[in-house]
This record gives sequence, C-alpha cells and structure tokens, in this order.
Amino acid sequence: MKSSVTKGFLWLLLSIPGILMLWSFTQGEALAMDMLHPSGEMSVRLMILAMLPGPLSEFFGLNRFLRGWIAIRRNLGVAAFGYALLHMIFYIFDMNSFAAMVEEFGFPGIWTGWLSLVLMLLPAVISFNYAMRTLGRTWKKVQRLVYAAFILGLVHWILLDWAWQPALVHLAPLILAWILRFIGRRRRYRVQRSMT
Amino acid sequence: MRRISRKYTAVAAVLATLMLAQPAYADGDIKCDAGPTKDWKSISKLKKKAWMEGWELLKTQVEGDCYEVYARTESGQAIEAFFHPVTLKKLVVYRRGTEIYRAPGFTG
Repeated sequence: MKSSVTKGFLWLLLSIPGILMLWSFTQGEALAMDMLHPSGEMSVRLMILAMLPGPLSEFFGLNRFLRGWIAIRRNLGVAAFGYALLHMIFYIFDMNSFAAMVEEFGFPGIWTGWLSLVLMLLPAVISFNYAMRTLGRTWKKVQRLVYAAFILGLVHWILLDWAWQPALVHLAPLILAWILRFIGRRRRYRVQRSMT
Repeated sequence: MRRISRKYTAVAAVLATLMLAQPAYADGDIKCDAGPTKDWKSISKLKKKAWMEGWELLKTQVEGDCYEVYARTESGQAIEAFFHPVTLKKLVVYRRGTEIYRAPGFTG
C-alpha cells in the first residue's frame, strides 16, 4: 500500500510539467511550437535522471539514497519517453500536415529526433515487471538503447538550435558519472586482483 | 565490463570535444549590425514584409539585434527567417536548423 502511494505521488510529480504544458497550449496561451523546447528538454532531463544512479552507485556503492533512486529509475525512463511522445504530439500540432512532416523528414535536425524516439520506444514498452522477469539479461541490454537515444536527442537539439552550450550542460553530469564509474570499476578490479 | 566503460568514456569525451570545437554560427548568433533601436522599423512593417513573402506568420521576435520571424511557407514548410530591423531586408532563412537562404553578400 505504502509503495503504491509513493508511486502515485511520484507520477503526479512527474506529470505536473506536462499538465502545465498541455494546459497553456489548450488555453491558447502558447503555440505548439513554443511547447517543443520545454517538452523535449524535459524528456532529456528525465533520461539523464534515469541514467545517473547506475554509474554513481558503482563509484559510491549502494547507499540508501542511491538505492531509492535506482528503485524509481524505471519510472523516470518511462516518463522520459512520455515527454518525448508529448514532444512529438506538439510537433504534429505545429506542422498540422502529414505531407509537410514527411517532406521535412530528411533534414538532419528532424530524422535524428524521430530515430531517438524510436530507440526509446523499445526500452519503454518493456518497462514492466513481467517483461523484466521474462527477458532477464536481454532486458538490461535493451535498456542500453537509451544511450543512443540520448546522444541522438542531443544531436537533434544542437542541429535545430545551433547552440551547443545547453546540450553540453545536460551532457556534463553524465560524463562526470561515467568517469566516476570508470574509476569505480578500476578500483574494484584492483581490489579483486590484490585479493587473489 | 571494463572495456565497455572505457568505450563510453571515450565516446563522451570525443563528443564533448566535438561540441566545443563547433563553430559559433548558431542561428541565435546572427549579427544584423542594426544600430540603435530607435531607428528600427516597426514590427507591423515586418509582419507586412513577411506576409508579402506569402508566408503564414506564426511568431515574430527580436533575436539579438535582428528581427526573427517564425512562419510557414505556402507549401507548408516551417521556416525561421532573420530580417534587418532597419532595412527589413531578408538576410537568412533556416529550415529545421539548415540554412536554405542567405542574402547575397551577407556574412553576419
């Protein structure tokens, strides 16, 4: 019971930005094109939040905080996909024409976004307990697609805005976490070797 | 496992370097050399100018020292165009981050 309350609260929290975006769009306060940036950015940020605790725990060890973070990691990933879908919906509203969407698909700034979304789709649809149990090690491998989705998402962002600073700011914490993971793995490797 | 982690770090490092090496020709960085804003033409004149291009106007704004127009062409293409605030000359047009028009001689 307690965990379902926590989960409900978490999802409420995760959906608030999206509800606000939909609200201002449906109230006519913002154009669909104005919602593209916030929805895309939200998706990227949630991806980062889902990708951080793994490497961090390899450096800091599994403390209570990281254990809790890892416990909600799947929710963060699914929410990232949710915001990517919302981003796509705003794009469809903005374009308002299937032909125009097809016509601009070939632009690097556009197909990178679509590909990133497709790469997120698979890890997202198998993010439930039964699939996790059934797929075992394969499940984890499929989840790694998020790395490619994330990088493509950043490329999509840079190609559209030609401003690398915001994308780099988002990449920085992950680079740091990856470096820490690398250090953590080396440290463990050395300890293991010294024990044998 | 160690090999994978090294690969990730390397890719991340390469990407960071690539991004740092990116030339600063951000579309937000277009320089119009427009001078003091008191000499600028009004936004309504800009809208008329965009309308005369046959575009459906979505949004106009000041970006740096340029006028920027978000619009859709007659064939439904989403575009982003930069105009000189004083002369209202069309300087650069982007389509989804790709430059599709540049006024002859404009280097800003």
